[in-house]
Amino acid sequence: MAGKPARPTNAIDQTRRMLSLVTYLRERPGARVEDVARAFGITEDELISDLDVLPLCGTSFRGGDLLDIDTDGDRIWWRNPGALAAEAAEPLRIAADEATALLVAARAVSTLPGLREGDRQALLRATAKVEAAAGEAAGASSRLSVTFESEGGVFADVDRAISERRRLWIRYYSPSRDELSEREIDPIRLVSVGHTYVEAWCRRSEARRTFRLDRVAEIKILDEPSAPPEIELRDLSEALVQPAAEDPEVVIEVGPGGRWVAEYYPHDSAEELPDGGLRITLRAPDPGSLRRLALRLGRDGRIVSPQDVADSARQAAREALLAYDAPQDAYPAPDRPRATPAPQAAPAPDSAPAPDSAPAPKAAPAPKGAAAQTGTGGTEPRTDAGSVTGTATGVGAVPRPDSGPRAVRDEMYDRQEQGL
Amino acid sequence: MAIAKAERLMNLALCLLGTRRPLSKRELRESIEAYLEAGSDDSFNRMFERDKDDLRELGLVIETVENLDGEVGYLARRDSNRLPPITLDAEEAAALGLAAKVWQQARLAGAASGALQKLRAAGLPEGVDPYEAHGALEPRIPVHEAAFEPLMLACRDRRPVTFDYRKATAARPEPRQVEPWALECWRGHWYLAGWDRDRGAERVFRLSRITGKVRARNGAYTAAVPDVVTVRETVAGWAGDIADRTALIRLRSGSGYPLRAKSASVRELGDGWDELEIPYGHGLDAWLVEFGPDVVVLEPAELRADVVDRLRAVAKG
Repeated sequence: MAGKPARPTNAIDQTRRMLSLVTYLRERPGARVEDVARAFGITEDELISDLDVLPLCGTSFRGGDLLDIDTDGDRIWWRNPGALAAEAAEPLRIAADEATALLVAARAVSTLPGLREGDRQALLRATAKVEAAAGEAAGASSRLSVTFESEGGVFADVDRAISERRRLWIRYYSPSRDELSEREIDPIRLVSVGHTYVEAWCRRSEARRTFRLDRVAEIKILDEPSAPPEIELRDLSEALVQPAAEDPEVVIEVGPGGRWVAEYYPHDSAEELPDGGLRITLRAPDPGSLRRLALRLGRDGRIVSPQDVADSARQAAREALLAYDAPQDAYPAPDRPRATPAPQAAPAPDSAPAPDSAPAPKAAPAPKGAAAQTGTGGTEPRTDAGSVTGTATGVGAVPRPDSGPRAVRDEMYDRQEQGL
Repeated sequence: MAIAKAERLMNLALCLLGTRRPLSKRELRESIEAYLEAGSDDSFNRMFERDKDDLRELGLVIETVENLDGEVGYLARRDSNRLPPITLDAEEAAALGLAAKVWQQARLAGAASGALQKLRAAGLPEGVDPYEAHGALEPRIPVHEAAFEPLMLACRDRRPVTFDYRKATAARPEPRQVEPWALECWRGHWYLAGWDRDRGAERVFRLSRITGKVRARNGAYTAAVPDVVTVRETVAGWAGDIADRTALIRLRSGSGYPLRAKSASVRELGDGWDELEIPYGHGLDAWLVEFGPDVVVLEPAELRADVVDRLRAVAKG
């Protein structure tokens, strides 16, 4: 069944399933294999393997007490339902772990801000009924909880566009370039893994893209129909993105205060340093976007290579400092009233006494240019080239969120909890 | 060939569910082929005890009863094992179907499916295929942390645990003794709240920072478990989501969208810069520095000094 994660066979799960199957099949002589598998959320192969075991089970292995359950591959027949007293085949009470798993998930899904109201109400009703039926077993479920993050309004629009098969226009924030860009997308599905993403066909780049909803600044449902090409859905469960082998290598050295980098950035290696820090090696399609990380780290770490990223961070910091080093009257002092009109001296580099600082119109020039060169050699930075249909890179192009892979995401909201 | 465990468990369950009187171990051994083939009494006894525990994990209530001759018997009474009547309509069934597939942790995924299958056996409507109905929405609860399962069981059974924990800024892990209260997943990461015995205080731990094995200990909790455990608030505070002050910054026009999205007010200055009021919580200094020369902190002075300090560190290289 598409999209359903395959689970390894486990005796506990199989026993639990077979007990329910016995109850279910008793009521439905001649049930179709296909229908039963669907009702139980398992593959037909899994069901057949259960049907291989059931004839070996019964209240005794002697004297015809075994269940005579048989299938021709299409329908399932139970030829001696009397082998099991009616009361031995009643539906079983929900166990504590089962109640916890189902209730925690149901409560989490019901917090999805963009969930359709009708679905939310149905889920809340169902949750209350399951709680009541589970009784005491429901108690432990309060010890686990999950909150999904998603932007309510954006979510609702994407959800509606998917169900009505309509195209979307979005203004989307790219952290690596600190830029908003407009594009039209044909949404395919919503995925919540910590953050919520929409997987879509991007009409601007004619490629599959993944957009994080909290980075969608504006959204409009268009009248045009959505027509994404048939593409195979990937299993996004493990990671939305993995760095590709051919991505440029980045080496970062951090002190103890920067060890969190190893938690947030998928990396190839993290070597312990004598001072309690780490030397982290990772691959990023667009190393220029790591300038933000270098700036954030401050004294807790630095980019060792590529050199141009380290230089660009240093350069950006120097440029930023000019604004603070400028004559005192160029900026409102901290205690000046906020209504003070803007001082005429803007902190533009060219107005400040900085011999080594070239006037830059906006930010440091590193990310864009550097990325285009170190990346694909194409006209766009590599972070934008996450297409499965092939890009300039060709080889093993791994689809990436449009905003850049996890390796270069700026933690717009999920800044690390360094205190824990 | 050895008889599969699922077959053995199934037979034991059917025997215990199908009987009206307690069955002795001897009777069970004679009825279940796998037990007859178990060889020695010892290996049968071990197998039988393990199987009973497994069936109890599945939710089966198995009673142990002693008869007049002092012989111990077992049975699973119908009235303690029967699912109470529950009626769900097609919409409710579809919604539960969606919820049942969000776990990415094997044990909980299995348990959630198991719950749904029990409901299915009890007549949960099938008109809507839960795996197709909400095709557009795919919530997933990620569980990558090895510490999750042992901690989940410890929370459930209220058992103290010990583990090595490396604080975010510490080079080496330190052993911790914790009475676990609750686990919470927030922004895709799992956290544990509990009582830290050595520190004599409530603590929140991030599961990815637990190194090595989680070991469950015997004994009762020494501290009372609060009625409401608030993991998220603690974590949100560290993550800078809880702001008690306001900062005033200048931001270059057209840049720093996330800062704008969070701001309380934006005022255009007309000289290529805007002035923003933004919430000032933990970690704001580090975030502002990311924007390099596109941000200038005006006030408070403390934040301004922190940002300058950080910029100097980067500028030095």
